[in-house]
Amino acid sequence: MALLELKDVTKVYAEEGRSITVLDRVSFDVEEERFVCLVGPSGCGKSTLLRMIAGLDQPTSGRILYEGRPVAGVDPHIAVVFQSFALFPWLTVTQNVELGLESRGVDPTTRRRFADKYIDQVGLDGFEEAYPRELSGGMKQRVGIARALAVEPRLLCMDEPFSALDALTAQNLREEVLSLWEDPNLKVSSIIMVTHGIEEAVFMADRIVAFSARPGRVISTVPVDLPRPRNRKDEAFLRLTDQVYSLIV
Amino acid sequence: MRRARGQALASARRQLMRLVWFLLLAGALYFIYRRPAVIFRGGPPGVPSDARAIPYYASLSLARMTAAYVLSLLFSIVYGYTAWANRPAGRFLLPLLDVLQSVPVLGFFPAAVFFFVGLFHGGRLGLELAAVFLIFTSQAWNITFGVYESLTTIPRDLDEAARAFGVGPGLRFSRLLLPAMVPKLVYNSMLSWAGGWYFLIACEIISLGPVNFSLPGLGSYLINTAQDGRLGLTMLGLAALVALIIALDLLLWRPLGVWASRFKYELTASGPAPTSRVLTMWRKWPVARWTMVAGVAVWSALRRVVRAVLTPPRRGLAAAEKVADRRWPGLLARLGSFAARLVGWFIVAGLGYLVIRSVIALGRLLLQPMPPEARLIPAALAASFLRLSLAYLISLAWTVPAAYFIATNERAYQVLMPVFEVLASVPATALFPVIVFIIAGRAGGMNVAAVLLALTGMQWYLLFNLVSGVRSIPADLEEAARAYGLKGRLYLTRVVLPAIFPSLVTGSITAWGGGWNALIIAEYVVYRGRTFTAFGIGSLLDQATYTSGNLQMIWLSLISMVLLIVTLNRAFWRPLYDLAARRFKIEY
Repeated sequence: MALLELKDVTKVYAEEGRSITVLDRVSFDVEEERFVCLVGPSGCGKSTLLRMIAGLDQPTSGRILYEGRPVAGVDPHIAVVFQSFALFPWLTVTQNVELGLESRGVDPTTRRRFADKYIDQVGLDGFEEAYPRELSGGMKQRVGIARALAVEPRLLCMDEPFSALDALTAQNLREEVLSLWEDPNLKVSSIIMVTHGIEEAVFMADRIVAFSARPGRVISTVPVDLPRPRNRKDEAFLRLTDQVYSLIV
Repeated sequence: MRRARGQALASARRQLMRLVWFLLLAGALYFIYRRPAVIFRGGPPGVPSDARAIPYYASLSLARMTAAYVLSLLFSIVYGYTAWANRPAGRFLLPLLDVLQSVPVLGFFPAAVFFFVGLFHGGRLGLELAAVFLIFTSQAWNITFGVYESLTTIPRDLDEAARAFGVGPGLRFSRLLLPAMVPKLVYNSMLSWAGGWYFLIACEIISLGPVNFSLPGLGSYLINTAQDGRLGLTMLGLAALVALIIALDLLLWRPLGVWASRFKYELTASGPAPTSRVLTMWRKWPVARWTMVAGVAVWSALRRVVRAVLTPPRRGLAAAEKVADRRWPGLLARLGSFAARLVGWFIVAGLGYLVIRSVIALGRLLLQPMPPEARLIPAALAASFLRLSLAYLISLAWTVPAAYFIATNERAYQVLMPVFEVLASVPATALFPVIVFIIAGRAGGMNVAAVLLALTGMQWYLLFNLVSGVRSIPADLEEAARAYGLKGRLYLTRVVLPAIFPSLVTGSITAWGGGWNALIIAEYVVYRGRTFTAFGIGSLLDQATYTSGNLQMIWLSLISMVLLIVTLNRAFWRPLYDLAARRFKIEY
C-alpha cells in the first residue's frame, strides 16, 4: 500500500459568483521512502494540493488517502514547511520548534530534548534563545525544518521551501535536507515538495509530478533514477531537466 | 563615568525641553481661554424640540460631522506623515499627540467656544465652528495614530523597493504610503465617526455659566427633549439617529471597508477577497463614475500641492529665488526675501510674546493662595482613576473574548459587527440623563451611572481595535498553527494573545483617552433642573466651570488631570507600546 494516494482530487473556488477550477482530477501515489516533487507553472494549484494533503484544506471532490484512511483535518504524521517560514515572531527558536510537541501535550523536559536534538541537526546550535527577527533567511528556514522534524512525521510536506532564500543558502540547505532524509535514524519516510524550479526537482526527487497551467492537471510523472549525490553538470541530469521543461512549457 | 554623566545630562535636558514645551502649550491654551469678554449677539437661539423638523436637524448634524471628519482626515495624514517622516519633529509631535489624545477635550470646550465665538463677534458661525472643532478633537487623534502606526509597520522591503526604484516623494506617497494607510485609515475612521456622534450630542448644547446655547441639530433635540422628560419625542429622535447611522454604515462604511481590505499586506494568498454588493453598485452607478472622474481631477490637483509641500523647502526656496532672479534684478529679490523674513520673524516674536505673557499670567494665577477645594484634587483624581479602572476591567473582560469570536467567525462578523457598530455609534450621552434619572436616586446610584457612562466611552475602542487585531493575524501563521495542531488555550496563548497585543495596547490607550473624556460628562449631570454629581476630578472641573467660575480651580483641575494622564501614558502605556513594536510586530 502506498503511503499517500490521491484519487481524482478536484478543487473549485467560488469567487464573485463565478467558480474557478484550480485542480482537475489529480491522481498519483506516493510510496514509502520516496522524495516526490510537484512542479508546474505558478497558479497551477500545486500549493493548494499540498495544503489539502496536510489537511489544511479539503478537496471539492475526490479523495486523499494517508495509509489507506482519508485525510480528515490535520494528521499528526504529516508536517509542513512553509515558503514564508511562518515562524511566530514572539517565540524563540526553541519555542517555535517545540510548538507542535507542546500542542500534543508532551512534557517540558522531553519537549526540550527533542527541540535541542533537531535544532542541533539543522545546525542552529547556539541560537536556541534567539528570536526569528534576529536570524537570516536560511536560518529561519532551518528553524522551520527543525519545527517540522521535531514532531517526527512520516510524511513531510514542503511548500517551495527554498524559494525565499539566496542561491548559495538554498543549495546548501537542499543538500542538508537530502542528507537528513537519507539518515536512517530519521523518522521521515517520504517527502513531498512543491517547487517551480525544475532543476531543483531533478536534483532532489525520485519522482517528479508535472502539472499543467490552471486548472492544474497531472501531465506526466517522471521517474528520476540518477544516482545520488547528483551532479548538475552531468549529461543525464541535463537531459532529464530538458525533458521535464519540454513537458511543462 | 563621564559618559554616564553625559547621558544623565542629555536626559535632563530632554526633560527640561519637554517641560518648556508643556508650559508653552498650557500658556497658549490659557491665552485663548483668558478672553471671556465675549458678547453673544441675539441671545440664545430657540430650543429645538419640534419632531417634524427631525430631518432638518439630522441634515445639520450630519453636515457638522462631515466637516469635522474631513478636517480630521486632512489633519491626520499631514500630522501622522510628518511625525513618521521627520524624526526630529516626530520626537516632539508624538508626545504632543499623546497629550492631545489623552487630554479630556471636553474640559477645554468652553475655551474653544470663547475663542471661536470671539473670532466671529458672537455670531452663529462661531458657535458652529466651536462645535465642529469639538467633534474634530474627538475624531482626529485616533485616525492620526492609525496613520502613524500603518506607516511604521510598512514592511521594510516594500519601502526599500520603492527607494531602490528611485521613486520620488510624490509617487512614494501616492503609491506606497497612502495605500499602506488605507486599511487603518478606513477602520479608524469608522471608530472616529462613531466617537463623533458621541460628542456631537455634547457640543450642540453649549453652556457657559448660566447661559445655554442650542445649535439646531439632532443632538440638541435629543438632550432638550430628554431634559424636559418628553421621552417619547426623545425616542423618535433616537430612532432617526439610529436610522441615519445604519444608512451611512450600509452605503458608506461597509463598502469602504471592503475596498480597504485589498490594501492589506499579505505574503500568501488567503482565499477569495471579500465582496460588497453596494461597492459593486457604486462602481456601476453613472453618478459614482462621474464622482470618480471629479475625484481624480481633484486628487491630481491636490497631488501638486502635496508635492510642493513635500519638496525639501531649501530646493523650493532655491527655485523661487531662481524665478525671482529672472524677474527682478538681484538686489530687489534679495530685498523682497529680506522683507519676507522680517515679517516672519515679527509674527514669531509677537506670538512668542503673547505666549510668554500668558505663561506668566498662568503662573501668577496658580501661585495665588490655593482655594480650599484644591485640597480635594488628589482624592478626586484617585476616585476618577478607580472609576475608570473598573470600567476598563469590565471592558476588557467582555471585549477580548467577543473580539476573538467575532473576528474568527465569518458569520458572526457579518452579523454582529454592524450591530456593534450601530450600538457604538448610538451616543450614550443622549440617553445618559434618562439613566441618571432612573438610578441616581438610589445609594451610590450616581457612581454606578458614572462607571456605566465611562464604560460606553471606553469599550468600543477596545472591541474594534481587538477585532482588527485578530483579523490581521497573517494567514500563513494561522495555517502553521493549524498544521501543528495548536488548539484551545495553547492557541490562545501562543498565537492569538501575542498577535493582538499591539492592538490591545493601542486600543487601551485610546479607550483610556475616551474614558477620561466621558468622565467629564459622567460625573456631573443636570436633569430637569437638578444636578447630580459623583465625586471625582470631572465633577470638580464641571463645578468650577459651571457654578463657581473659579478660574484657578479650573486650571488646577485641568493641569493635574493632564499631568496624571500623561504620567500614566509615559510610565505605563509607552513601554508596553514599545514592547509591542519590538517583540510582537509581525514582520518577515
